[in-house]
Amino acid sequence: MDDNVVSAMLLVSLGLGSLGLGAFLWGLKTGQFDDANKFLDGALHDSEEDLNVAKKIKDRKDNLKKDK
Amino acid sequence: MQSSSKFSTCNHCNLEFSNEVMIYETISTKQFSFCCKGCQGVFHLLNNEGLDSFYDKVGSKKLHQVTNEKTDLTKFDLDGFSKKYITNNDNLNEISLIIEGIHCSACVWLNERILHESDGIIDANINYTNHKAKITWDPAVLKLSDIIRKIQSVGYNAYAYDATLQEERTNKTRKEYYSRLIVGIFCTMNIMWIAVAQYAGFFTGITQGIKDILNYAELVLATPALFYTGWPYFKGAFYGLKNKIVNMDFLIVAGTFSTYVYSIYVTISQVGEVYFESVTMVVTIIFAGKYLEVLSKKNAVDSLDSISSSIPTEITVIRDGKKIIIDTTEVVIGDLVEIKPGEKIAIDGILLQGTGSFDESSISGESLPVYKKANDIITSGTVCLDSVITYKANKDLSHSMLQSITTLLEESLTKKPKIEKIANQISGYFSLMVLSMAVLTCVGWYLLGISFEDAFIISISVVVIACPCALGLATPVATLIGVTVGAKKGILFKTSSHLETMAKATTIVLDKTGTITKGSPDVIKFVRNEEFDLNILYSLVKSSSHPISKAIVGYIDNKYKNSHEYSLLNIKNIEARGLSAQYKNDKIYGGNIEFIKEMNIKCEINCSRSIFIFAINDKIICFFELEDQLKQGAIETIENIKKLGIDVIMCTGDNEIVANNIAKQVGISKIYSSMLPKQKANVVSELQHNGEIVITVGDGINDALALSKSDISIAMGNNTDLTVKVSDIIFINNKITTLYDALLLSRKVFSTIKQNLLFSLFYNFVTILFAVLGFVIPVVAAVSMSLSSLAVVGNSIRIKRIFKDG
Repeated sequence: MDDNVVSAMLLVSLGLGSLGLGAFLWGLKTGQFDDANKFLDGALHDSEEDLNVAKKIKDRKDNLKKDK
Repeated sequence: MQSSSKFSTCNHCNLEFSNEVMIYETISTKQFSFCCKGCQGVFHLLNNEGLDSFYDKVGSKKLHQVTNEKTDLTKFDLDGFSKKYITNNDNLNEISLIIEGIHCSACVWLNERILHESDGIIDANINYTNHKAKITWDPAVLKLSDIIRKIQSVGYNAYAYDATLQEERTNKTRKEYYSRLIVGIFCTMNIMWIAVAQYAGFFTGITQGIKDILNYAELVLATPALFYTGWPYFKGAFYGLKNKIVNMDFLIVAGTFSTYVYSIYVTISQVGEVYFESVTMVVTIIFAGKYLEVLSKKNAVDSLDSISSSIPTEITVIRDGKKIIIDTTEVVIGDLVEIKPGEKIAIDGILLQGTGSFDESSISGESLPVYKKANDIITSGTVCLDSVITYKANKDLSHSMLQSITTLLEESLTKKPKIEKIANQISGYFSLMVLSMAVLTCVGWYLLGISFEDAFIISISVVVIACPCALGLATPVATLIGVTVGAKKGILFKTSSHLETMAKATTIVLDKTGTITKGSPDVIKFVRNEEFDLNILYSLVKSSSHPISKAIVGYIDNKYKNSHEYSLLNIKNIEARGLSAQYKNDKIYGGNIEFIKEMNIKCEINCSRSIFIFAINDKIICFFELEDQLKQGAIETIENIKKLGIDVIMCTGDNEIVANNIAKQVGISKIYSSMLPKQKANVVSELQHNGEIVITVGDGINDALALSKSDISIAMGNNTDLTVKVSDIIFINNKITTLYDALLLSRKVFSTIKQNLLFSLFYNFVTILFAVLGFVIPVVAAVSMSLSSLAVVGNSIRIKRIFKDG
């Protein structure tokens, strides 16, 4: 086996692995795993109305940022 | 909705009630039933607000009945309150609340929705697992009391807690440690398969080119593991050195870092074998143990928060004839304080007006309520059960019982880790020894005439062989398995080092109430003088929250399945005596002997136990005898512990008669009765002075001081006051039998650690000898290192079998 093939394989597999690790750490940092139950059950409670409320809250936050 | 002929289900809370008490309502040809006005109100509110999809989400889950009490919310807008709980950021307020009454994710959804819908709320986030909420709002638009009112309007309740105190900090460390651990595991898993390729290559032949690639790949993986995952050890070693102490952290750092540097040297010079995989593995495994400690601390803090928030922050005082609510810190000596039923006392004082029973169990351990009248002393931490009283404060907050115990605890907490220091010292000597041996080897070989480079490599190999396996793995793997096995049995060790201390313990000090006994009275005898409708009695006792009433409710629920409540008229709660009410045309009474006699009913019952007599009109119908009973397995546990050669002592705040009685039943001969919290702590100190290693087991604030003084403190599960904070071990299942399990487990772990250490020290002795003499070829070191690690891990896994045999 050529040395280059080995290094390419290592590079790709470790690269993909660290990509996944990075994504996981990012999710952890932004609090996406803080409340697993709520996160999972949240899917059951999604509706158009809930989306509208979420939008409203987001607008409120954005407005605040603009005001500063 | 399901409904049987006699019972129907409330359309809001899904609880079942007798048809007689239900409120019926027809809304557009559909009939609805509600158990109370509160539930009905919330049902309408949700329908009007368009939130009725809540009921689809709840399904058939049962909720809390909505209490219709209108509590005074003005305290939420007081300055003292906001100073304590609200943080202000860019003109936005933020508060942490605990929401009461959350049963399912639909409840979370409803609370968040009702908050999000209101103007001025910027963000509201409720955690489903621990019911904690974080709310950000604009104080210019709405007040905190409005927010609480919103939450109450849908049938929940909220109270504030100080998040900055404990939670924020532990949460942050937990998250940080978790990231570090994940990185470590990722690196270890990947480096191992590369290492396997290298091992295979060593035996079957490998070109230098491939070897280089593998070496560099390992270098890339080992670097984050050592410097990111292992960073806390670098920090620990640095602070140790700053204080001129060589600690365990330093040993780990010295071992792994020098191996790392040596491996880099090998990679570049292309001579010899690299040890990146052992660097990564050792750092990660040791770190996993540290993470478990952080995790259990977080669990403890979670339960602590909800308790400490029940300690009152505001108090009603009467100044110039007017009732005002002020912050507890503002109370001065001489203030008149008013307390309502169910309120916890925050300030010590002397009772002026009114009489009432007080639950003193958290201070004295006395399981039965104490009756107090004018001029009696009121102690903070107790709860007024049944009446409105006025008392004069004779101490301010900082000198009151509850606060002074807390202060003392905080002081002793900072002084605690005495044993840890000794352990660190020993490992410090070991690492100093290894390091100096390495230096001597280097100098020795250099003087013998070989090149400095070779001498340096030999000395590095001494450090490499000595460090990672010996103390590195022997203790953490055994304690890790011990802690996990313990967790499955309901034993939470706050720090794994406590296992060791526990194994060496010579004396156990047990609290009585809540530890040996159940802590609440149980019916042990029920005498029925004549046949009657038991539901009348059931309805009467259900109206009171007194421990005796609760015990009787529990007894009836247990024995007679179909009991239900009637609506009674004129229910009166006569302080420390009993209850009276009217049912149809009959007057009904329930209470102690004095109460029945006061009601002019002939009574010839005599009993040394607590008694509850039930009478209709002027005739005694039945009576109950009650006693605080032993916990299941208490006798066997204490017998077993004695067999281990450990002294058992009972230390209780209860009076001598009760204490002796219980001690006799369980077979304890050394008893200290009528002890105050400080005296209990003195008993522990005295024992320690005599050279004993003391375990204290307790469950209330009254034990907290003694717990903090002892070498190992164990908190029983469900009564987690301050105890959780000071205790080293927590029994979540609240069983006394767990104590014996914990002792067995700790002894087993300790003996395993000793075996592991003995084995690895012997191994070290031999290999270091070879290394010093320069006989160790790197690959022999690598293989024997793995073998010795396997031996240590395999020996530790045997701990798991401890509870399988018995």
